[in-house]
Amino acid sequence: MHQLWLRVAAIFYCAACATTLPAVLYRRPRLQRIALPAALGGFFFHFVAIVEMLVAARHWMPVGMHEVESVLSLLIVVAYLLVVFAYRATGFGIFALPVAVLLLITPAVGPDHAVFVSPMIRSGWLFLHVGALLAAYAALIFSLFSSLLYLMQEQRLKNKSGSAFLAWLPPLSVMDSISSTSLTVGFHCMTLGLLAGSLIAQQSVGAAYFLDPKVLLSFAMWVLYLFMLFLRRSVGLRGRRAVYVSSFAFLVVISVWAANLLSSVHRFPGP
Amino acid sequence: MKIILWGINHKTAPVEMRERLAIASSELPEVTRQLLQSPGTAECMVLSTCNRVEFVTCHEDHEPDVLTFLKQHFDVDADTLQPHLYIYREHEAIRHLFRVASSLDSMIVGEPQILGQVKESFAVARSVGAVQSSLDKLLRMTFVVAKKVRTETQIGSSSVSIASTAVELAKHIFGSLEGKQVLLVGAGKMSELAARHLSQQGTAPILVANRTFDRAVQMAQRHGGHPIRFEDLYAQADKADIIITSTGSSEPVFRREHAQKMLHKRRGRPIFFVDIAVPRDVDPAVNKLDGVFLYDIDDLQSVAAAHLATRSKEAEKAEGIVTEEVEHFLQTLRTLDVVPAIVAMQKSFENTRQSEGRRMQAKLQSLSTEQRTAVESLTRGLMNKYLHQTVQALKLAAREGDAATIRTICEMFDVEPGGSAATPPASSPDALEANHPSEPGGEDDQLEAAIAGISKTETQD
Repeated sequence: MHQLWLRVAAIFYCAACATTLPAVLYRRPRLQRIALPAALGGFFFHFVAIVEMLVAARHWMPVGMHEVESVLSLLIVVAYLLVVFAYRATGFGIFALPVAVLLLITPAVGPDHAVFVSPMIRSGWLFLHVGALLAAYAALIFSLFSSLLYLMQEQRLKNKSGSAFLAWLPPLSVMDSISSTSLTVGFHCMTLGLLAGSLIAQQSVGAAYFLDPKVLLSFAMWVLYLFMLFLRRSVGLRGRRAVYVSSFAFLVVISVWAANLLSSVHRFPGP
Repeated sequence: MKIILWGINHKTAPVEMRERLAIASSELPEVTRQLLQSPGTAECMVLSTCNRVEFVTCHEDHEPDVLTFLKQHFDVDADTLQPHLYIYREHEAIRHLFRVASSLDSMIVGEPQILGQVKESFAVARSVGAVQSSLDKLLRMTFVVAKKVRTETQIGSSSVSIASTAVELAKHIFGSLEGKQVLLVGAGKMSELAARHLSQQGTAPILVANRTFDRAVQMAQRHGGHPIRFEDLYAQADKADIIITSTGSSEPVFRREHAQKMLHKRRGRPIFFVDIAVPRDVDPAVNKLDGVFLYDIDDLQSVAAAHLATRSKEAEKAEGIVTEEVEHFLQTLRTLDVVPAIVAMQKSFENTRQSEGRRMQAKLQSLSTEQRTAVESLTRGLMNKYLHQTVQALKLAAREGDAATIRTICEMFDVEPGGSAATPPASSPDALEANHPSEPGGEDDQLEAAIAGISKTETQD
């Protein structure tokens, strides 16, 4: 049943995407009135689908690629809705909603055959570990979005083109504030996620967990996060520099994600 | 009721002529009252702004004598005024009013003030009793059209003056300008104007720097800001988010290295330079630094010109909306024109029904109260069913402006298109009372009741 709700959510998100693009780019307030309720509707069904999925599988954390993608997609939509309600920056939907749809398509189309029967599956610590790290990824993706939009607006203002096509871009200060908030929130989530993960690994694997490639990359990621925060506080992290650093951090995120293939700590014995 | 609009505006009359006809807001009620008293005027409204003076009147048969009124009240003779005066009647008057309120007839197309001015004039006309149903309907529709133009086009979305363009650009950088620090370097009318526009947005008290400190003090006093000595300019400049320069210096006051130091002190927070001076006060290389935005007078002018071009395109769209709405409003008016005929028809049918009822009274005496009520509702239902098709045909003909069909239907039912029965049936006061138990007072109430009656008939069918 949860897959039906996922498909309904995907349809709502597609409607939100299709209306957000013209609403933002060509300033159509009527379409905007459809876009936001559609995104909210999608969020509702998506949330229902995930809760139902976790309840049916009797575990409290996403397992397998499809479930993780689905949760990450939901977190991106949550971040988007927060940005809309806090800053009225609906323009973020141009990036956030298509990414959410892309992440949702595979879980919505076919079931995940991942088998994960470790007793740790119902551990609150593991839930905290996975949930906090996914929230950190979503925050980093949002930080990258806002840095990109900042750069576009900066170039528009510097070129003095006054292009009507990009007139929808929010003010620089809004993008800066979103970028700063998402970095700070993401850093806290990542710290929490890594601490929880370290505790679990210390107990189950022992000190050797620190040599695992995924763990090493995750800590590198944490250091990078710290470095970005330091840059922002000391000399400011805006414009081109912010896009470069955020893009690099995004690449590291993808590497961390992909490192599951090499990680022994993140392999759990089957039944 | 017929509508006529006459007036002069910035396109037809020079400022000297507009000055002679201009009406101060304190005098507006009195002038409106006098216009209402002039022969022929049933309803009226007077609109007076710096770019136009217009009079809208509604009249029955005799058109008000415009030139005599103007001569009496403004002491302008007809020969002087006539070349500048425009007179619009009926749909042209409606169209003109819609265009004025939508800011399509303004000097700066899309400026938002005109709608407020029309609303004020309407409020004044109402307060002196110069507004009845016709003008009320027209003005309400005018406000609806103006709002539609605002929301469905981008006509008023961007600034077209130098000062407001600077404010708009600052908003693209800083979002809200509340609490932002503005620094004014040098004196100049344009820079002072830009500073005033910015301070209206709630910026912090302006800092003013000038080579002559006394002038800085005077300017700071004028704007409620703080003067700073020119020697302290570079030490204080990093506090400013927006710097407006207009000195007479032949060398740039701010160079790349100054901006770099300022950025460093501000930890990369953006700075917006508005350089209104010629020769320029800020080295153009400054704009290449990340986080620094520099606009000189030419840049501001070209942005304003681009906005103006966008407005012209949007104005075409807005003209389409106005044309559509004029047609829609005329259709509504035409439908209202036949309402009196519909009322007369209903009265005539009702009288016939009641007189037939009285004729049959003796034969129906044996019926119980319930049976009489049933007969009553049966006859009324039949009457409404027969009338429905006719009413629909009449409304359709009115919408399409088909006078011949209206006349034929009215002749068939022996009523005047204006409303009264051509040969009044033997109606009794009782019959009328039965038809309109509450006996509405004015013409408006009658029309409302008739419209309600028709809708009821339609629902029943």
